[in-house]
Amino acid sequence: MSFWKRWKEKKAAGKQREHLSTSLESNIRWLRSNLLADDATIVYRLLRTKGPRPRDCALVYANNMAKHDFLSEHVVAPLMSSAPPKELHGQGLLDYFMQEAISSDSMDTSSSYKELAEAVVRGTGVVLVDGCGIGLMVDAQGFEKRSVSEPQSETVVRGPRQGFTEDLGVNVSLVRRKITSPNLKMKYLYVGEQTRTKTAVMYLESVAKPDLVDEVIQRIEQIEMDGILESGYIEELIKDSPRSPFPTIGHTERPDTVAGKILEGRVAVLVDGTPFALTMPYLLVEAFQANEDYYRHWVLASFHRLVRYISFFLTTSTPGLYLALVSHHPQLLPMNLAISIAAARKNVPFPAMVEVVIMGLVFEILREGGVRLPRSVGQAISIVGAIVLGDAAVGASLVSAPMIIVVGLTGVAGFVVSQFNDVAVVVRLGLVVLAGLLGFYGFLLGGMGLMLHLASIKSFGVPYLSSLTSLSVQGSQDTLLRSPWWKMQMRPRHIGAKNRQRVQSPSRSRRS
Amino acid sequence: MRRRLIQILMLCLLALFTTGCWDYTELELLDFVIGAGVDADEAGIVLVTEMAKTTGVGQETEFEPVVLSTKARTLSGAAHSLSVPAGMEAFWPHTQVFLVSEEVAREGMMAVLEHILRAWDLRSTMNLFVTKGCTAEEVLKSKPPLAAGVSQHLSSTVRLGDMRAAFVPQQVWQFSGDLAALGIAATLPVVQLVHVTGNLVPVVRGAGVFKKDRLVGWLDAEQTQIFGLLKGEEQRGLFVMDTTVEGETFPITYEFVHNVVEIKPRISDGNVRMQIKLELKLGVVAAEKANFLDRAVTNTVQEQLNRAFARRIRELLWLVQEEYNSDIIGFGQVLMRKEPKVWRSHADDWDTHLRKLAADIEVDCRIIFTGLRAEPFAVRN
Repeated sequence: MSFWKRWKEKKAAGKQREHLSTSLESNIRWLRSNLLADDATIVYRLLRTKGPRPRDCALVYANNMAKHDFLSEHVVAPLMSSAPPKELHGQGLLDYFMQEAISSDSMDTSSSYKELAEAVVRGTGVVLVDGCGIGLMVDAQGFEKRSVSEPQSETVVRGPRQGFTEDLGVNVSLVRRKITSPNLKMKYLYVGEQTRTKTAVMYLESVAKPDLVDEVIQRIEQIEMDGILESGYIEELIKDSPRSPFPTIGHTERPDTVAGKILEGRVAVLVDGTPFALTMPYLLVEAFQANEDYYRHWVLASFHRLVRYISFFLTTSTPGLYLALVSHHPQLLPMNLAISIAAARKNVPFPAMVEVVIMGLVFEILREGGVRLPRSVGQAISIVGAIVLGDAAVGASLVSAPMIIVVGLTGVAGFVVSQFNDVAVVVRLGLVVLAGLLGFYGFLLGGMGLMLHLASIKSFGVPYLSSLTSLSVQGSQDTLLRSPWWKMQMRPRHIGAKNRQRVQSPSRSRRS
Repeated sequence: MRRRLIQILMLCLLALFTTGCWDYTELELLDFVIGAGVDADEAGIVLVTEMAKTTGVGQETEFEPVVLSTKARTLSGAAHSLSVPAGMEAFWPHTQVFLVSEEVAREGMMAVLEHILRAWDLRSTMNLFVTKGCTAEEVLKSKPPLAAGVSQHLSSTVRLGDMRAAFVPQQVWQFSGDLAALGIAATLPVVQLVHVTGNLVPVVRGAGVFKKDRLVGWLDAEQTQIFGLLKGEEQRGLFVMDTTVEGETFPITYEFVHNVVEIKPRISDGNVRMQIKLELKLGVVAAEKANFLDRAVTNTVQEQLNRAFARRIRELLWLVQEEYNSDIIGFGQVLMRKEPKVWRSHADDWDTHLRKLAADIEVDCRIIFTGLRAEPFAVRN
């Protein structure tokens, strides 16, 4: 190499290079020493074509991120056996390789170092050709992923057994298979300075309000964060009323749930690397709706929905009500019950309020322990917990037997409305403190405060209590009870406003 | 945010001023009073209470009634000093029954009612009783055969609607209402001690008749039954009456099914007469020889019943009007409601008018069912 040429390269290297040079050697050196420096997983495979004028090429890819077999068979072998005509160079040469040599259905080109480097770390194979200032990106992503299985957190008796996986492509396809309509639109966004997490915003163009879609995209684009490892990051960064314990963005592991929400006019956000998809807007009623409600008879579904509302009341209010009755208004208890509770509490050393707080804490400790530990150990924890709580503590007169019933009822009822499991803990604690200090007055004060709070929050412009407070028959069809499908002709008012008609009128007339 | 915080703090502060008359208390530090009674004493008043004592823990908890008594010059003082023998705070809201001894009732109920109506922790739905031939303490210390305590025994007796033809239950609000009202006098159900298999068992039977706030006399069970019918109390239960059918007299057991009473005043020449119209629907529980398929038999039986009830009503009216001179049926109230002008002219001297008040009695008894058989069971020779 002449001195002049080396001097030119040195000068170019000194500057911040954005685009590929025509020299393969220089390009590889640049990548090795700059964007892809100190990364042992990057493979640089040098090749040479055949023909009258063999060309030097390089395949750059990240180990374990790209499929070796695919690259060997469809990129390396065809390139090595190709014989490009002598006169081809630059873009023409690249076109020749794309059209005649490499057999892949997904290819793209770029001359930007940054784009190519990002493609490599995502699992794409990048082909650089000597004398060509453009790189060829061959989609060859192939890393280990979990197969589609039934989600652990949302099991159903009747309904699809599919759950999202950690792979965005798979997840998107799962939703797409539910809604095979060109109306289903999707926009990819990359979030996180370092992780560049691929995020898909999905909605039904004919139903979702454009303002809503724009708002979601805008909020996601405004995220400034180094990394997004789970959809929970995005949820917390874009949700309304961020200080409220009540979720204003829903999450689910089930494609059928996401499809159902999209059909109502909601927007879904799927994030690469997590099986949890986000749906928005999210209203209070949604916590009490389960996907299975829509798969079985509406009478049973309505009954179970009522059970969920009652359970939420029980899990938040039982300790507070117990405390108010026992500590402030024992005259409201039936005589036999009052005497029985008094007898049970006779040797308990703590006041009722302390007892409630301690038992609540013990229950949360056991629950947290059971969740975090491996499943086998978790079971042991629950057995120890049940024995310690249910028997030994009562036997040792540390807590009274009615308290065990209260804690047990609170805990079991809490699992019924899993979406509000965390919220229930906060509400319960607030009501316990208020009821313990002020009796029923405090309990009602807390209840009113809670209602005021719920009435004041919104999710993406939609009041949190809407639907539940609707006075119209159409508006309240899928709230406390579920109407039969042939009666639910309209989508929720605030959400599917663009196209409210869900069911066409002919079927309605046939039914009625 | 700051404004919101101030608002919340203000709400909490306000709550402290509006918490009313309850306070934090520990249930196990209370002694539950489930029944109480008042006896007279030379020094003043004796308050007897039945309290719930619990033994054992958990599933072995047993409830045992304990009777305590305190003496003081007034009932309130006695109630206040109850915590001394009890050792813990006496808790009154669960008191179900309140007994007043005959002696105290004859002296006047004012002192007792003053305490019951003023105390925040005594309920106006307590059942009031007056004891006859025994003190409240003796009643509360007696041993009912099945119930855990006397109070439970008495309140379950009151709840036995089917069998209560022998008494008319009175809760505090009803009794005090009758005392305070014009043109009516009050009664209380009577508790007596009866020997049952060697034990003294409290039995509710009859009524104590009050004039103003003093006990003046008694009604026996049969009279109380008639009194209940005239008060319009729905009667349940059985009664036996000797009935003559085809020249033969034998007892037939009847059951009250439905009863309606109508009492109206009739004024003629400035004189007031009360028209009492009683309709009774009865069932036959055991008829022995009467064949109710025969219409004539039914008519004869019904006529005899009409006559018998009319006679009983007349006897009761004589007793309460002449002997006790107490308007427990509430003729005065009926007159006040229907003929207010006449009432105004009679009100000042109602006791005298009551003695002379005549009544037209009309009874219409109907037998509406005869059990599963209409004719008597015959044994084949």
